[in-house]
Amino acid sequence: MKKVIALAGNPNVGKTTLFNALTGLRQHVGNWPGVTVEKKEGIMKYKGREFLVVDLPGTYSLTAHSVDELIARNFILNGNADVIVDVVDSSCLMRNLFLTMEILEMGVKNIVIALNKIDLAEKKGITFNFKKMEKVLGIPVVPTNAKDGTGIEDLKRKIVAVADGRITVNPVVPVYDDIIEREISHISEILKETALAERYNLRWLAIKLLTRDEEVIKLVLSHLGHEKMDEILHHIGELEEHYKKSLDIIIANQKYEFIDNLIHQFVTHFAEQKETLTDQLDRILTHPVYGMLSLLAIFYFLFKFVFTVGTPLQESLDSFFGVLGDNIGRYIVNDTLRGLIVDGIIGGVGSVLSFFPLVFLLFVAMSLLEDSGYMARAAVVMERIMRKFNLPGKSFIPMVLAFGCNVPAVMATRALDDERDRILTMIINPLVPCSARMVVITFLAGVFFERHKALVAISIYAISLGLALISALILSRFVIKGEESPFIIELPDYLIPSWKSVVIHSWERSKEFLKKAGTVILAGAVAIWYLSNYPQPVGTGLSYAEIIGRALEPVTKLMGLDWKAAVSLIFGIIAKENVIATYGVIYGIGGNEEALGVLMRQAMSPLQAFVLSLVTTLYLPCIATIAAIRAEGGTKWALVASLYNLILATVIGILVYHLGLFIMG
Amino acid sequence: MVMIMYVHLTHMNEGEEGVVVDIHGGIGARQKLIGMGITPGTRIRVLKSSPPGPIIIAVGSSRIAIGRGIADKIIVRRELR
Repeated sequence: MKKVIALAGNPNVGKTTLFNALTGLRQHVGNWPGVTVEKKEGIMKYKGREFLVVDLPGTYSLTAHSVDELIARNFILNGNADVIVDVVDSSCLMRNLFLTMEILEMGVKNIVIALNKIDLAEKKGITFNFKKMEKVLGIPVVPTNAKDGTGIEDLKRKIVAVADGRITVNPVVPVYDDIIEREISHISEILKETALAERYNLRWLAIKLLTRDEEVIKLVLSHLGHEKMDEILHHIGELEEHYKKSLDIIIANQKYEFIDNLIHQFVTHFAEQKETLTDQLDRILTHPVYGMLSLLAIFYFLFKFVFTVGTPLQESLDSFFGVLGDNIGRYIVNDTLRGLIVDGIIGGVGSVLSFFPLVFLLFVAMSLLEDSGYMARAAVVMERIMRKFNLPGKSFIPMVLAFGCNVPAVMATRALDDERDRILTMIINPLVPCSARMVVITFLAGVFFERHKALVAISIYAISLGLALISALILSRFVIKGEESPFIIELPDYLIPSWKSVVIHSWERSKEFLKKAGTVILAGAVAIWYLSNYPQPVGTGLSYAEIIGRALEPVTKLMGLDWKAAVSLIFGIIAKENVIATYGVIYGIGGNEEALGVLMRQAMSPLQAFVLSLVTTLYLPCIATIAAIRAEGGTKWALVASLYNLILATVIGILVYHLGLFIMG
Repeated sequence: MVMIMYVHLTHMNEGEEGVVVDIHGGIGARQKLIGMGITPGTRIRVLKSSPPGPIIIAVGSSRIAIGRGIADKIIVRRELR
């Protein structure tokens, strides 16, 4: 069994960069069991030995109030780690050591501090006496700069030494005032009699009881019974009377005082408060007006980058799969087998795989936003607008990414800490038109509304975005209820992102897209191929697809759409741009867009075309998106999202069609 | 002369400094503030406050943005110069 090293620390301390520095490319991204919190694991090599490095979620403390904190806390509490590396931002010591003390209070002895961003501290004018720091804290301290690799070898050496028990660690623990200390001893005495004494640090349990930690209260209650528990809680109530405040505040306060005392023993020079580049940038970037303009400009350029680089790649991949299919097809004699492999598997999977460059680049864009520190500012700027629709400011990011592709957008909802916010953002996400739907919208607008095509395309976007926001309001009120999450967010110093981190992160995430997409899309592509080729191929009017299309016609007729539209929409579930391609197949003219335009103009009124592009935008998300929602939010919410969009599209389609008929008389 | 007034964080102006006196509100939000270094006794400076957007404060060397709903539950002893 490999020994386990756990990385703990605040967000924005360079924990991920340190993780990358320790593990290199030998890493794996998954989820913590039962929750959609990202779990990163990697292998650290040292002198021929291998260690498993686990990146715990970045947290500010270890309370029971957030999933992230509970994951980190339980991991440490259950003794799952042989060594804990506490990553501390040396330029922001006070707050970072708060988490350190929370960890130490659990009775942890196998710990090393990585005093990270040491370059930044020096630049800010903070000077340390490292020897003294180790002595005062009783923990090995290694100054590091994960970005350029400073101190990494030294850190590895210390980690291994602690893992092997060659360094004895004797950490300090915070001491509180007499009244609280007396109560801690009192509670510990009571707990000593229980089985809890074997598994937990009693002092930690006592302190958590004083702060009325729900999980610990539950745990202790199961061992003590109601009578003794009530007695303890009564005592705590009396203490709160005495301090006139909740004990969690009192204890936190005293903990900070304790830390302040420690820091003064080993920090020899403190930073002067002066305006940094970050402050200057923030004056513009968080400004109500300039901030909004900068946000628009930043996202404009990011998208320009994503599409300029991504679209040619996408097109060449697309034609690559076309050529691949043709060439392989030549060697397959059996018609059915050829159809299955060329049209079904290669065609279907290829059309989704060709989105891979776009997905990867969107992840790159997102990582750049995250790692540079801008993401937090975007959340601040958007907070007041999004809040009007019961959404947090952060949910803006997934909504913007969705203009590129909904799959990375749905995966990006992970950045939201609150479960309710995350589900809500995920479900309305498909209503933001992705680039595949842009193809359909612009094609139909171009064919049917030559003079006003831009206006029509924009109106489709406006309607669906409007519906996304209104849906958030409605769903948050009636379906995904729950408390509004408090908006408290740290604005880290701006950083130039490290390309290595950005590429590793984007690659890990897009690999997930491939894996998830791979299986579901393959099955979907084969199913659609079957429906369109049996018992007779599409175009004959006898395929299952057309039979289903005709069966759906009574419903689509209400929106003014015939069976051809119904069939196209079915194929659009694989990938939305298929809606147009299917018309080509039905008319038997393949990919000739010009001829297709002429034929469609004869068969449809502009109103019908408008409804078709609107319904294409709104109805069922594509398979890849449904799979992403299922992976991130579970089967239930994937079903809710699919049904909700389907119903919404039907209702809006019918409404708009009849409204149009009425207006045009 | 230094004038002292107790106010909600939402009533502080940009550039003003003060010391946090009390944090009301739900335990979840309070715990989060505590972890970020904001407790009674903490010295803060308001960097940005433009209603109805979040308030940005400096705490030590870090910057924290707080929604108005919660900022309204933080009581600060304001120091006017």
